[in-house]
Amino acid sequence: MSGLSTAVSDAIAAIEAGPQGPSVGAFFDLDGTLVAGYTAATFYGDRLKGRDVSPAEFLRTVVTAVDGELGGDPTRIAHVAFSAMRGESEEAFADLGERLFRSKIAGTIRRESRALVLAHQRAGHTVAVASAATKYQIAPVARDLGVEHLVCTQLVVEDGQFTGATDGPMLWGRHKASGVRAFAREHAVDLAQSYGYGNGYEDVAFLSSVGHPTALNPHRDLRAAAARLGWPALDLSDPVGGSLLAAGRTAVALAGMNAGVGLGLAYGLARGDMHEGRNAAIRLATHLPMALAGVSMNVLHQERLWTHRPAIFVANHQSSLDIPVLGRLLERDFTIVAKKEARWDPRAVVGSVVIDPAYIDRSDSESARATLDGVVERIRSGTSLMIFPEGTRSATPVLGPFRKGAFHLAAQAGVPVVPVVLRNTGELMRRSSLVLNPGVVDVCVLEPETDWSVDDMSERIAALRTKFEETLARWPL
Amino acid sequence: MSDVSDEDVERWSGAAGWAAAPELTSMQTLLWRAERHPVQSSTSTVVIDLDRAPDWDRFVAATEWGTRLVRRLRQRVVEPVVPTAAPTWADDPTFDLAYHLRREHVASREEMLVHAAQIALRPFDRTRPLWEGVLFEGMPGGAAYVLKIHHALADPLGTVQLLSMLQSGQRAHTPRKPLGDEVVAPVEPDPVDLAVTGFRTGVASLPGTARATARRVGLAATRPQVVVGSALRYGASVRRLLTQAAPPSPELTPRTGRMWSFLTLDAPLESLRSVARLGGGTLDDAAVALVLGGLRRYHARRDSTVAEIPVGVRVSLDRADDLGNRFAGALISGPLAIEDPVDRVAAVRGEVLSLHTERALEVLDAAAPLLNRMPSFVGASALRTAEAPDAFVLTLPGPPRRRYMAGAEVQGMYVLGPLPGAALTVCLVTCGDTACIGVNVDASAVADLAGLAECLAEEVAAFAG
Repeated sequence: MSGLSTAVSDAIAAIEAGPQGPSVGAFFDLDGTLVAGYTAATFYGDRLKGRDVSPAEFLRTVVTAVDGELGGDPTRIAHVAFSAMRGESEEAFADLGERLFRSKIAGTIRRESRALVLAHQRAGHTVAVASAATKYQIAPVARDLGVEHLVCTQLVVEDGQFTGATDGPMLWGRHKASGVRAFAREHAVDLAQSYGYGNGYEDVAFLSSVGHPTALNPHRDLRAAAARLGWPALDLSDPVGGSLLAAGRTAVALAGMNAGVGLGLAYGLARGDMHEGRNAAIRLATHLPMALAGVSMNVLHQERLWTHRPAIFVANHQSSLDIPVLGRLLERDFTIVAKKEARWDPRAVVGSVVIDPAYIDRSDSESARATLDGVVERIRSGTSLMIFPEGTRSATPVLGPFRKGAFHLAAQAGVPVVPVVLRNTGELMRRSSLVLNPGVVDVCVLEPETDWSVDDMSERIAALRTKFEETLARWPL
Repeated sequence: MSDVSDEDVERWSGAAGWAAAPELTSMQTLLWRAERHPVQSSTSTVVIDLDRAPDWDRFVAATEWGTRLVRRLRQRVVEPVVPTAAPTWADDPTFDLAYHLRREHVASREEMLVHAAQIALRPFDRTRPLWEGVLFEGMPGGAAYVLKIHHALADPLGTVQLLSMLQSGQRAHTPRKPLGDEVVAPVEPDPVDLAVTGFRTGVASLPGTARATARRVGLAATRPQVVVGSALRYGASVRRLLTQAAPPSPELTPRTGRMWSFLTLDAPLESLRSVARLGGGTLDDAAVALVLGGLRRYHARRDSTVAEIPVGVRVSLDRADDLGNRFAGALISGPLAIEDPVDRVAAVRGEVLSLHTERALEVLDAAAPLLNRMPSFVGASALRTAEAPDAFVLTLPGPPRRRYMAGAEVQGMYVLGPLPGAALTVCLVTCGDTACIGVNVDASAVADLAGLAECLAEEVAAFAG
């Protein structure tokens, strides 16, 4: 479950061993290659939900789609969709793209495709997304992957509105191939040394333009062609979808968490020691649900969690799963800082009783400072603090900017910072999902850092963030 | 005088074993029975330029030897009275070399090419061995041997192979040339016998066929979604292959298929290969790109803005770049809008490789045995339903070194293929370091023949840099 498959590791090793620099191109198809599934289907699903679609348009779309599958012109479906967008505002559509990216598409980016993109970026290659999709579908994905170039279908916009026409041909099949070749000429990319990744039968023309084509999770016709053409086929694991079983287990896990909290608190009451009761509740409330949901952990440098207590633990944040995972790691004598609004969040109520978080009112800086003074006191008296310096969950494993709060606290309280890198919690429980999938969470505890002061704080934070990035990019073995 | 060179002997013994199967293959049968010369012809013509006129007696003797070495050249096709079996080859007891080989006198190479086209247009006597050779003498630059050969005897690839095998590696005469094992001529088969035997074999295989059908029906009943899914995908693939190529160019109509005009061109092989390499393609792709480049110039000259034309290419059914021996013909949309030869090669490459995703590529091959049981007009119309491209392009490997025919040096070997509905059929034969390009043009479809020849020559120059 954790790590990359052997085939992907081999492919990455070959990229590292091959020629480096911007004259080598790496072209990635979008739908079915970088992301699992079709982004256009997500957009259309949203359109259907908004009832923007007349029954006639819907019927036409279905008939055209089926005809495309049965050997008709497969690009007609897109033209039907484009002409239906006539008169719509480009800005609104771009916003829709961002919204759908965060809520749906971000979770479908394949982890191993991300690793391949990253390998090409490390080699200094010119990386581009080459797709028949429009930039409104591609741009958020490309930005998340740090890909600068798009070779894609362009829609005509006049006065901020779509005209329903495309600027040039739809970049499908031979047109995608010629788009890629034109891009290569423009950017002085040597195609014979370049890489291409695609999954559909229409990608053959584009893949045959590069020296190193790979059929990535190919459809059956491309798989057959790749075998005949001697092209490697690479099968990546798809992001885990929420199965019914996983949903059931999640429900059981939630029940387990509450039972754990209740049991722990009861134990504390019985013993007359609320401190021990809380610690017991944390243990039970984190162990029980993760065991029930089939989630286990693979922790590197676990000893570092204990050598520097009390401390401020900082971790990257992708999923609601991060909190139980960190709770299980830290086990005892810790708390979190939460925004005041979260105090009455029903999902957090039970947990808040147990770990007694320090709430801050972000709208009132005076009271926030007072709260933080109280937190410093608690740290000094032995309670460690867990903080996500990104401030919010990211939609994808890409690291957001680090805020300074956690490090100021470390300086004031005079305690070390212990960095904890979480790799794949986002895959087991997607950002917007309530379902926890079974699997192994990879955790790496970095070297604790001591002696924080305001003078060199910014540089040290930047350096620490880089360490997070490097650890995520090349997971230590 | 040196002895027979080892290489020659090896090649000649290869020729002796050439085409030994007693029956026509399914595809050959289909082409044989569906032939409607010249519109639906299966005749290829080879024009061989020689540096001098060979001694006629020596030339006749060498041809006589060739027909003894390769028995197929002395055999004819015998059809069963009803098409229950494939036609068979049988020795022609009345074989007369003089009927098949003659010489003519012409004043120029152009005149020779006009004669060659006329020879190609004349139908074969289907009751005799299916070849005809004419040695043209009297041209200023040497001589030319024109060999017309039927597809049932050899396809263009086989014809070039056969000729390469029969030619000699030296100018001097080789005495005591080897012959194949003295084969006992097959008993002249009786057409009625053939039909009856074919029918018996058909009946004998009925239980097996029935079992296979039952199995297929059983499979369909137990796993309907698999069978239906697979049938739909196959159907979609057939539809894509038949309909998704570009429409024919209005500049290349009307085609009658009854007026053939032969052109020949030479291109340095190295320049073609280097353009192919730069575009990431093969010599085949470069040949298609070269023809498209010529047609691009022709369309531009006539102020036509056609962006794509349908081109017929040959695709290996084994591996993409293998010569292999299983091929399918298919249509691609050839770009006329790309000016840069390298980019054009890359585009052609993409089109050709895309064909490998089509599971129905072998459809005609698969249908041939069935069509052969039908009256011949059914097969003929099956061949016609596949839409004809504007041009067929074919690349054939010729002799890698200098070769001789009865003491005359071979200076070029051009294959002029038939025109089954196309406006042009182009064959590129590699001869040593030269690409010998033979172009058969439907003179009724091309308004400016001389202009087309110039355009093709200009494109050859563009490829040479």
